[in-house]
Amino acid sequence: MQSSFALNIQGVVKSFRDHQALKDVDMKVREGTVFGLLGPNGAGKTTLIRMLTGITAPDKGQIEFYGSRLKREHIAQIGYLPEERGLYKGMRVGEQALYFARLRGLGKADAEARLRMWFEKLEVEGWWNREVADLSKGMAQKVQFIISVMHEPRLLILDEPFSGFDPINAQRVREAVLELNREKNMTVLLSTHDMGSVEELCGEVALLNRGEVVLSGDVQEMRNQARDGRIVVGFRGTVMAFTVAIGASAELLEVRSSDSVGHTHEVLLRLPTDTDVAKWLHWISGHVEILSCSPWQPTMRDIFIETVENREKETA
Amino acid sequence: MSSLRHIIFREWNTRVRRKAFIYGTLAIPLLLMAVMGVTAWLEQSQTQSSKVLVVDVAGMVSRWDNQLEAWIPICPECFPERTSVSYRFALESMSDEAFLASDIDIMVVFDDAILQHHKAQYFFDKVPPIELESIVENDLSSAIERFKVQEMMALDYEAYKRLKTDVSLTGRDIITRDGHALGRSIVGFFFSLFLFMQILIYGMHVMRGVIEEKANRIVEVVISIVQPSQLMAGKVIGIGLVGLTQFALLTILTIVLVQGGAALMESMGWLTPSADASISLDFKSWMAGQSAWSFLLDVNWGLMLFCTALFYAGGFALYAASFAAIGAAVDQESDAQYFLLPVMIPLLASYILAILAIENPEGTLAVVGSFVPFTAPVMMLIRIPLGVPWWEVALSLGGVFFTAWLMLRIAGRVYRVGILMHGKRPNWRELYRWMTYHS
Repeated sequence: MQSSFALNIQGVVKSFRDHQALKDVDMKVREGTVFGLLGPNGAGKTTLIRMLTGITAPDKGQIEFYGSRLKREHIAQIGYLPEERGLYKGMRVGEQALYFARLRGLGKADAEARLRMWFEKLEVEGWWNREVADLSKGMAQKVQFIISVMHEPRLLILDEPFSGFDPINAQRVREAVLELNREKNMTVLLSTHDMGSVEELCGEVALLNRGEVVLSGDVQEMRNQARDGRIVVGFRGTVMAFTVAIGASAELLEVRSSDSVGHTHEVLLRLPTDTDVAKWLHWISGHVEILSCSPWQPTMRDIFIETVENREKETA
Repeated sequence: MSSLRHIIFREWNTRVRRKAFIYGTLAIPLLLMAVMGVTAWLEQSQTQSSKVLVVDVAGMVSRWDNQLEAWIPICPECFPERTSVSYRFALESMSDEAFLASDIDIMVVFDDAILQHHKAQYFFDKVPPIELESIVENDLSSAIERFKVQEMMALDYEAYKRLKTDVSLTGRDIITRDGHALGRSIVGFFFSLFLFMQILIYGMHVMRGVIEEKANRIVEVVISIVQPSQLMAGKVIGIGLVGLTQFALLTILTIVLVQGGAALMESMGWLTPSADASISLDFKSWMAGQSAWSFLLDVNWGLMLFCTALFYAGGFALYAASFAAIGAAVDQESDAQYFLLPVMIPLLASYILAILAIENPEGTLAVVGSFVPFTAPVMMLIRIPLGVPWWEVALSLGGVFFTAWLMLRIAGRVYRVGILMHGKRPNWRELYRWMTYHS
């Protein structure tokens, strides 16, 4: 029976001399999803990705690829775009792309047809016979992206795929990733610090910090959970008066914006979990002129920062 | 296996199509010919201009000629006319000013004391070539000897010359029936030198290639498709084949140049002996008549080329593996110097030993050197033109290939870890750790 998980990582440990890069990492990536692998620099993302691409092996633990233990022969079914990537300078663009296609085991005619299609799609077809050295950074990024997807892998690993792109080309590549995911049922593992892309593309994420998975799950659920009773309230008056008015009924977390002309402010509050928000609003309206009230929508950036900071505090 | 083929082809193809490779390969024989021509011309022009003034104070080797109104040698055959030396004679030495103003290169002065202590003094303003000194010594010795025989001993000089016996030894190899051992070992050295240079040049190509892949970070993409050992092997084989391609091209080019030159010489009649214009020689017959070069016809060129290719393959793999490991261990070429020395020492040692082995190609040094895997590729080629039992060549080759395999395995371990490491240059202890590291 086929597994519904593209990746099932269980208890993976990896050490380099006296540094433990990954500590008992468990992670499951559902087949056909776009999965975000998040984490600050040095969290262990690249180490984990290198294991998935067969570059290194775990000291302990096991990685399953579509239900079977990850082996060298599975690597042909993986596409990988590393964060730090380059191209051979002394080759022509098309020739280089063909070289990688042949390394992937594609026949010459098939490889050329696929590459021509991708070159056209990402608007680099005019560069086929040009020297790699003539490519701009963005153009080179597109070629690198094509090299990682041309063999239509079952699993595509993208490490910071949008860095170096202007917004238009970044969007074009984002659309290409989504199209591959939708139309080819390609599972995508996206490692990035660009939280906008995570929200746009990823259904599920895992957050790595200091070699451990500190948060994982469905993005929407994560955002709902992360609200933690927080609401955004707009009011007219002074912040001091508002603080006095709410007293101990709520915790003022942040003044998000202020208009000194109209004396309006927007603040982030945390209400105790058992608070009836409607009743609380009715009560506070008697003291302050309330202009708006909405549940706080944490972004992935907020969740990322808050989780990592909390973790750092705990460790300290 | 298919991936390895593509890596080899890329490494080979991107290098052989470079203009530098094509022009470089074409230029090597032309440059060699130019260097040899210029050297010969310089040597010739240098020896042509040597004028020697023999100041015979006691009048032992020269006499006044009324017709010529000049001092001439009593024994003209003792001071033969040569293109490299011309003699003049005088009874009195020139003043320093007059010597400097004259076209004389050296002034040899002696009196009858030469009969006792056999010494003459010479003066010069520019240091004369060593060979000029030996020519003048020989000529003057003959003239003094004649003077002693005729004037002091009152003997017939012609009879003395007939009695005088100079024994010279000529060697003949019992197997090759050839007496040109030195010439043959020089042929071997030429191949050794070529092999040494190819290993060094293309070994550095391997190192630079690895550094380039590492520096522009493409290596991570490649090793996510193929194993690092495959990438390294492909690089070593591909670049090694570039060296072999150049060797093959140079061989073809040399054959074409030699055959073309021979045909030209034959058609222009340059090979006709001056003594008999009716005889027209072909190039091979002409070569056979040249005592200094005739041994070249006896060299088994096919065997030499075959053995050079084989020893190049083994020797290159042996050294290129180390160059690849060094490339993987560093981020930039300047950092590589630290690791290069231990790799370069055996290679340079083999070259120095090869120079020493030219004069004694079958001595202990050459024999031992041709079996030590790190020096064998360069050293064995000196011995092969002299005739080496096939099993010795096979044993030497076996040692080279086995060591190359061992080096590839060890270097592969360093390479595998090193290509993903960036930052501080590792030390030797870390390199050892990489060798024992299990990914």
